[in-house]
Amino acid sequence: MIELVDLSKRYKQTEAVKKVNLFIERGEIVGLLGPNGAGKSTLISMLASLLEPTSGDVRFQKKSVLRNPQPLRKVIGMVPQDIALYEDLTAEENLHFFGRIYRLKGKELKKKTEEVLEQIGLTEHRKDIVKRFSGGMKRRLNIGVAMLHEPELIIMDEPTVGIDPQSRNYILETVKRLNEEKKMTVLYTSHYMEEVEFLCDRIYILDKGNLIASGTKDEIKDIISLERALSIKADRWENEFVTKLKGNPLISRIHVEEKEITVIVPREVNMFSAIIQIAEETGQELNSVNRKDPTLEDVFLHLTGRALRD
Amino acid sequence: MTGILFAKWKTFLRKPWDFVLFTAMSILFAFIIGGSNDMNTLKIPVYADEISDNLDASLEELEGYHFSWLDDEAKLKELVENGKAELGVILRDKDFEIIVGMDSPNVSMVEYALAGIYEKRMEREKLTLAIEDFPKEEQERLSKEWDSLNDNPVFSVQSSTFRSDDAIVYDSNYHFLFGFTLFFVIYTIGYTVLPVLTEKQAGIWDRMILSPARKWEMYVANLANSFLQGYLQIIVIFLVFRYAFGLDFHGKMMETLLLILPYVFTVVALSMFLVSVVKTVQQFNGVLPIVSLSMAMIGGAYWPLEIVESEILLTLSKGNPLTYGMEIVNGVVMYGYPMEELLFPISILLCMGVVFMGMGIHLMERRHI
Repeated sequence: MIELVDLSKRYKQTEAVKKVNLFIERGEIVGLLGPNGAGKSTLISMLASLLEPTSGDVRFQKKSVLRNPQPLRKVIGMVPQDIALYEDLTAEENLHFFGRIYRLKGKELKKKTEEVLEQIGLTEHRKDIVKRFSGGMKRRLNIGVAMLHEPELIIMDEPTVGIDPQSRNYILETVKRLNEEKKMTVLYTSHYMEEVEFLCDRIYILDKGNLIASGTKDEIKDIISLERALSIKADRWENEFVTKLKGNPLISRIHVEEKEITVIVPREVNMFSAIIQIAEETGQELNSVNRKDPTLEDVFLHLTGRALRD
Repeated sequence: MTGILFAKWKTFLRKPWDFVLFTAMSILFAFIIGGSNDMNTLKIPVYADEISDNLDASLEELEGYHFSWLDDEAKLKELVENGKAELGVILRDKDFEIIVGMDSPNVSMVEYALAGIYEKRMEREKLTLAIEDFPKEEQERLSKEWDSLNDNPVFSVQSSTFRSDDAIVYDSNYHFLFGFTLFFVIYTIGYTVLPVLTEKQAGIWDRMILSPARKWEMYVANLANSFLQGYLQIIVIFLVFRYAFGLDFHGKMMETLLLILPYVFTVVALSMFLVSVVKTVQQFNGVLPIVSLSMAMIGGAYWPLEIVESEILLTLSKGNPLTYGMEIVNGVVMYGYPMEELLFPISILLCMGVVFMGMGIHLMERRHI
């Protein structure tokens, strides 16, 4: 359906996106995963024809979008990272406004508004001023506006940032339902790997403007098939313990959090006894040491040496 | 485009506070400062001693002076000594005395005006003495003839300027009304143009760009909204002063409202330019007062440019839209300029507007927000 070919964007001294190749097939949910500042928003702005790339091409149905963006714009819906709504208008007025912008009129506009309000669960709040909505409700309406003209492709730029878990689940379920029922193609960007794992058929991982991995969830997890992740938990860390772990030649990656350390080690090596021994030598009290099923977070750690949320 | 305008109008109706605030401030400042700072009238305390007839009416007829009558000569001298009055006048039956606190051209002007009144008064007395023995009917006829000659003199002096047939009548009420109206409308317009930046930052414009709406429609709708709100503010202020405070605009309110349109357009364009060079709302909040206050001071909103002597300030005022806005409204209402005279400031404003608008939209489009 849409394809990015060697797409790059440079801002003065910074190369925000570096020769990215990516494709999206009709009807699939594709995840674009990466930490803050990875270049996700820049990439999707170029994909949506809102930003001109420095080099490369965006092709929609095999035709360059750079030369003629209109065919793509007709079928695209955009959910920006910020709340792109008129906060002094009601939910219904916002939908009517954006509906009119899309040349919807009269009964058709009313019908679509009803449908969208139903889909995003805001029918009862249709007459409420958006300014008084909770963060989750605003996010839902932000998505609803993009669905109004029934786009074939919807691009969601971190649509769940800063909202409560309940609203997040609602949004994720809505996206899944849209894809299943309306066959809507979705490009979903996030730095929450669990969202991407839940929603997406295929995933692209972006870091510092580079595409560092792509494939289905399983294919990506297979990247670390020769390795495994271990989770070490404790109430606090002794500096010496952490230093010794970092210096261990068998540990390829390590990520230290307040009460958990994740280490990536070769699959054939039994590190349990080695970790217990280091803990005894350094006086580190441990709560547990467990083997983890590899997650996208572990893959990112493996590939970059950093956690997604660093 | 109508959709955008409709949304803006609804937002305005729901949140009209900026508009109300700036309109109220214009009215308040113009009313207080315009009313209290009667720069054109010289206030003179006057005390009358041993006067057989009443000089009140003759003094009231003098334009440009306001005589306040005191019942104590010492009080008058005290006012002058303390600098509360530039000069004071003591009127006697046969002569008058001017108590001078500060030597200024006003002293000789007052002296000249009073001498004229006393001269007429003496001539009248001479006439009365001369016809004292005439029959009563003859006395009345001569007296009427005397009055008629005074009312319709053989020679009359008519004052006019090079630019207009009417005499220049500077009125601080109008000056402050126009000054504060043109000053505060910059804020109203500025804050209605600002959403071009905030909506771009929030992604609302991205949504519209992806829709069938055209870019020019988005700009025109936003800027038309700013223009209409600014213009509505001016109309409201003028109507308040016309009907609540009785200012008649010398019968030229409609002309003023019509000829102020280029100024409103230029302020919209200037605001667009400012919005295109700032990066955040905070920056805009900082820049707008600096620009508007400088414009007001240099452009003659607070005081007439005629009293400014600094060449630098006068040169700077030539690049200031408010200067030309003031020239238009003052020209129409106070100086009675013909249309040919107003074409110059109108053209300058339109040129400035086109340049600011062009630069503003160009810069806005070049930036990725």
